[in-house]
Amino acid sequence: MSRRSPYLRILGICWRASISSEMEYRLNFLSSAAVSIFWMVWAAVGVSVYFRFTGQVAGWSYPELLVVIGLFFTVNGLRQAIFEPNLERIGEYVRRGTLDMLLTKPVDAQLLVSFRYLGIGNVMDPLLGLVVTGVGLALSGRGLSVGALPPFALLFAAAIALLYALTLALMALAVVLVGAEELGSVSFAVVELARFPVQLYRNPVQSVLTVLPIAFLTTFPAQALLGRLNPVLLLVAPAVAAGSVALATLTWRRSLRSYSGASA
Amino acid sequence: MSIEVHGLVKHFRVHQRKPGLRTSLRGLVRREYVEVRAVDDVSFSVAAGEVVGFLGPNGAGKTTTLKCLTGLLHPSEGTVRVLGHTPQRRESSFLRQISLVMGQRNSLFWDLPALDAFEVNRAMYRIGEPAFRAALDELIALLNLEPLLGKQVRVLSLGERMRCELAGALLHIPAVLFLDEPTLGLDVNGQAAVRSFLRDYNARRGATVLLTSHYMGDVTALAKRVLVIDRGTLRFDGNLAVLVEAHSPHRLIRLSLQRPVPVDTWSAYGEVDSVEGAVVTLRVPRAETTAVAGRLLADLPVVDVGIEDLPIEDVIRAVFAGE
Amino acid sequence: MNDTLTAYSGLLRSSTQVALTYRGRIVLWFVSGLFPLLLMAVWLTVSAESGPPAGWTSADFISYYAAAALLWNLSGQHVVWEWDADMRSGDLSVRLLRPIHPFHQYTASDLGHRAVSLMMLLPVLVLAALLVPGINYPLGVFDAVAVLAAVVLAYLVSLVMASTFAIVGFWSTQAANLWMLWWGIGSFASGWVAPLDLMPPWLRNAALVLPFRATIGFPVELMIGHLDIRATLVGFAVGLAWLAVFSGLYVCLWRRGLRRYQAVAG
Repeated sequence: MSRRSPYLRILGICWRASISSEMEYRLNFLSSAAVSIFWMVWAAVGVSVYFRFTGQVAGWSYPELLVVIGLFFTVNGLRQAIFEPNLERIGEYVRRGTLDMLLTKPVDAQLLVSFRYLGIGNVMDPLLGLVVTGVGLALSGRGLSVGALPPFALLFAAAIALLYALTLALMALAVVLVGAEELGSVSFAVVELARFPVQLYRNPVQSVLTVLPIAFLTTFPAQALLGRLNPVLLLVAPAVAAGSVALATLTWRRSLRSYSGASA
Repeated sequence: MSIEVHGLVKHFRVHQRKPGLRTSLRGLVRREYVEVRAVDDVSFSVAAGEVVGFLGPNGAGKTTTLKCLTGLLHPSEGTVRVLGHTPQRRESSFLRQISLVMGQRNSLFWDLPALDAFEVNRAMYRIGEPAFRAALDELIALLNLEPLLGKQVRVLSLGERMRCELAGALLHIPAVLFLDEPTLGLDVNGQAAVRSFLRDYNARRGATVLLTSHYMGDVTALAKRVLVIDRGTLRFDGNLAVLVEAHSPHRLIRLSLQRPVPVDTWSAYGEVDSVEGAVVTLRVPRAETTAVAGRLLADLPVVDVGIEDLPIEDVIRAVFAGE
Repeated sequence: MNDTLTAYSGLLRSSTQVALTYRGRIVLWFVSGLFPLLLMAVWLTVSAESGPPAGWTSADFISYYAAAALLWNLSGQHVVWEWDADMRSGDLSVRLLRPIHPFHQYTASDLGHRAVSLMMLLPVLVLAALLVPGINYPLGVFDAVAVLAAVVLAYLVSLVMASTFAIVGFWSTQAANLWMLWWGIGSFASGWVAPLDLMPPWLRNAALVLPFRATIGFPVELMIGHLDIRATLVGFAVGLAWLAVFSGLYVCLWRRGLRRYQAVAG
């Protein structure tokens, strides 16, 4: 039996249970979808106010901005579905001894703790986000060019990996602090900063948001779709993503060692 | 030897909290730490197939010792070897041979139906299909789990949940089973079910069992050998019967009376432990308990009677006083 | 109707839904807290690139959004989520047993939390007002009194509006979502998304008669000295009128809702 398959099988069982339990409340499911659509329309309309006074902001036209906003909803939707439900439970695992139980099992706690729960209450967000992005691409006159897809896929994968790294680092913090449910808000706030392309903020904020890799979350993948990507980023983004995940994993392991009193 | 512990010491630095607003504010800037010795120079060995009970009051260091044995905690000093492995290294080959069950703790998979939770364990321990089927069928039969399989673990009663936890913990047929307060919070039937199951299982499979509890009843039912731990140190290591005889020579008879009875009546039956209105507790030598109880029921207007062991704290106090 | 009742009682038993509610509240609270700063940053870029939109300079934007952030902290409402959580968990019954009307219980606890968060926020804002070049609130004594009154009005209007939506929870499980919808649409007319001056004329006019401006835009515009006496009086009049409307609506809904609650959940 390969090393991978136990985790896939375990997650498969867990995710099936998450899905079926959320499906029980159809009314909430439908209203969540409606709420998602509402906030997307709200964002699209809200941003249009700027364009009453100018044709473009920091080199971004309105349709191009929609591409970014759509990606924001996609990334945020994935955050809410995969990362958030697990982050909010870490404190509980520590308080209730669940983490202890898990640590006596011959599995890597990191994978299970990161992906145990699947929140499909907002499953529409990632899909609707892509719709908004598509609309933006169409309105911008560019359309979706096949050549733009591979760089986009690469950068999007890097964005999700970065988000995972952030979540894992917060989980490590939650183990040490025993709870701190507000950490979920940190993750949320960070992603909110990616709602607009970073160029809209000008320096010094723009530089700051590029270094803390907020720009990698939505701005660069959007630029890939629009054919405006600096090619250097095709190398930089995966490197930054991989580096962040590695750093976060080290942080997680460090926090587990501290939890088990390894240093004390 | 399945388990070997030499000179185990575990201490924690605990932030000392003092009352008062000024000291709390000062505490924001400068914290005072106190070193707590949860486990202080404990040594013992357990042979394969033995069932050993770890007795002690709350906070005695039982759970800390258990966590050191299962690799959850790094010892501050001393050595711990379980099945030839160093637990804190958390080697996969080690973890696959042990199991830990904790009373009243939630498993990560508690909102799954019980059967799915077992499948998860199968994946985690990489149990082959035929072995899994065989173990599962046996455990379902022994623990009477058939009606519970489709229910989510979290909606089960505490007793039902415990039975599921035990089953889940034994699917991979561990060589060593660690139990931490397994009957905590269970009613009398639940406790009896768990105890009889563990006894049967040990007889069938010969697993080494290390059980911590602050209920004397758990240990009496399961273990011949008992380790008494109090305030981090080992006070007694030996045969349970010896411990009981030597240090718990009395039992308590609790009576509810129809009407109060003059105080001097009791000297004929035993020592008075406490009187609360119409409820009287008498301390009686162990051997004479049934006889005295019989006389009390015959002679006095007794509405209700109960017979108990001395609380564990008293036994332990006696253990110390004996040394 | 029956479906609603069944769904409602089912949800009362489920704790998953409480988590969903919590998430919604965090979304709104944080987006509102951070968000205006992001919006402001973009306005500064627009102003730098294309010149002051409708005559608003960078200094104007900074003054406006700083005041708006303060106002949000003063008038932003969580009460809908508190009600929602209490209705689902059954804690509302506990509140109803107390001799004080739940409205006052929630308000009292809200004021307590707000005082604490204000204690932390106010020094930051005062420091910002002193240090950041461009923040400018030209207020005389009379204006300051008017601003204070407008802030109190903003709090009350928000509170009563939110409370009214909260008790819609007696009939629907979607009360919190309805409130988010109301607030979301209203955010264009309240001056939260952007200063009303920069909105299209039809929206500007509509906002003058809608309740939303009273919660943020009106006090902020007063603070930055954009309103003359007439506009100030109109603003107060509109705010007070809506306060009366929602208060009446609340009282009316309360009686009916309570009867329904006692019949169904109790």
